[in-house]
Amino acid sequence: MQNSILEVKNLTKNFGSFTAVDNISFSVADGEILGLLGPNGAGKTTAMHMLLGITLANGGTISYFGKDFLTNRQYCLQHINFASAFNTLQGRISVWENLLVFAHLYQVKNPKKKIMDLVEQFSIHSFLNNRYWDLSTGQKSIVNIIKSLLNDPQLLLMDEPTAGLDPDVADKTLSFIEHLRESRNIAILYTSHDMEEVTRLCDRVIFLDHGKIVAEDSPLNLTKQVGLATLALTFDGKKQTVESYLKKEKIPFTFVKNYLVHIQTEEKKIPSIIFDLGKHIWLTDIDVKKPTLEDVFLEIVRGKTHAV
Amino acid sequence: MPFERIKAILLQEWYITRKSLEVILDLFYFSLINIIVFGFVFTFLSKQEDSVGAVYILLGMILWEVIRITQYSISVGALWNIWSRNLSNMFIAPLTIFEYLAAAMLSGAIKTIPTVLIISAVAYFIFNFNIFTIGIVNLGLFFVNLSLFAWSVGITILAIIFRYGQRLQALAWGLIFLFQPLTAVFFPVSILPDTLKTIAYLLPPTYVFEAARAGLSNPSVNWQATTIAFAGNIVYLLISLWFFNYMLKKSKDIGQFARNEG
Repeated sequence: MQNSILEVKNLTKNFGSFTAVDNISFSVADGEILGLLGPNGAGKTTAMHMLLGITLANGGTISYFGKDFLTNRQYCLQHINFASAFNTLQGRISVWENLLVFAHLYQVKNPKKKIMDLVEQFSIHSFLNNRYWDLSTGQKSIVNIIKSLLNDPQLLLMDEPTAGLDPDVADKTLSFIEHLRESRNIAILYTSHDMEEVTRLCDRVIFLDHGKIVAEDSPLNLTKQVGLATLALTFDGKKQTVESYLKKEKIPFTFVKNYLVHIQTEEKKIPSIIFDLGKHIWLTDIDVKKPTLEDVFLEIVRGKTHAV
Repeated sequence: MPFERIKAILLQEWYITRKSLEVILDLFYFSLINIIVFGFVFTFLSKQEDSVGAVYILLGMILWEVIRITQYSISVGALWNIWSRNLSNMFIAPLTIFEYLAAAMLSGAIKTIPTVLIISAVAYFIFNFNIFTIGIVNLGLFFVNLSLFAWSVGITILAIIFRYGQRLQALAWGLIFLFQPLTAVFFPVSILPDTLKTIAYLLPPTYVFEAARAGLSNPSVNWQATTIAFAGNIVYLLISLWFFNYMLKKSKDIGQFARNEG
């Protein structure tokens, strides 16, 4: 069992009569990447703000490294950090100046060397002396991540760090986060609307909806809960042959066209369906759409999944 | 080692100040223009045989800049970070409110001293008015008292901005001028109507400006006025710090602090 870096118990936040975060409990283990997902207004950002101490909770406790956050604020903040596409650094001053300010805020020993090490690692020499405002979105995102690594955090909270990035820069950022976990064993609490990157990065996922945790598991197990994959078969042959086979086997299907059928089935049955139908008709194209985290997300948002 | 974090805020202030035309204009340019305009008014009135009134205006002008620049520095310093959506980054670092405010107050003093020295030099060399006429000790005590008051006002404005957001940011530039007539910066308190006079004597700078005017003819320290002003300032500062803490807690409670950045 790995040590728990972050422990949240019964965290609640009300804004008047509206409950933004409703009695949620979860933990993040050493070196784990935990995804915090949910539709807009689910309570992710409010939860994140409470974890950072910029919004006060109405109830519950937050502990970092076994210490209560409220009574050990400085210690906890010294050992965690935050990167977001939505928080930017001081725009009027250069990247170097911004990083130097934050290095002093985190009391980094030998701050100039620390910054230069990160500058080397991320290859940002070319815009180190540029004003932060003049950077591209991708460059800002990298600088935000560098800022979040200045204090060698044990836990990194990341709020949609790839939002607004082009696919190439987003992919590089994700690769870097993967590298970060491998090389430093940093625990990460990660929010995103991009289910592909969550599937790629996260060991475990928590779904929030209306402030409550409505699902919690690994991305793989969550997709299994959705169940059926879609097998799309394009064929050259009689539609009735396909129809009678599927009816006989009691497999749900929909004909999109006379030569294209969508079959809903468990993944493990796909080979036998293809094999059986292939005996009678000529299959010209086969496409399998496995359930993704996005399907889980949509089902949760639309109120079909209630697994906790 | 809290000084390291105070140093971080001062460093950021320095970087912003030297790169922002707005700050340079607000702090140094307006101070210079003010002293030049008031200097000519002083010269004009002196020729009209109203030399006392003329001196009051120039003296009040120079001392007023201590309040204006210090308060501006405290209140607007935070706004630079709000406008850049960087404020929460600062407060999710292990920075305490005490350190932040201490840095803001120090920064105010650091900006005020050279500015006041420059405008005092302009007053001396161009308009032949020597601020040191009121006595060096007096000047030091006045500086401390006016800075303390400006800290209280600056912290109070900051508290309001943190609580209610940027829609009230204009207070950072405007509110301080409410105290210009109320503290009798350019004229004796005696000319104020009774109601305003009562309010004036509740405000510590009033004692400073009165003592400064008296100092023109007698530069010995008016300990009574200085002590009253200092005691008043300590009370106001404590109230402003309590108010700031209260408003910050409220702001975090209703989610405004996190929303301040849009």
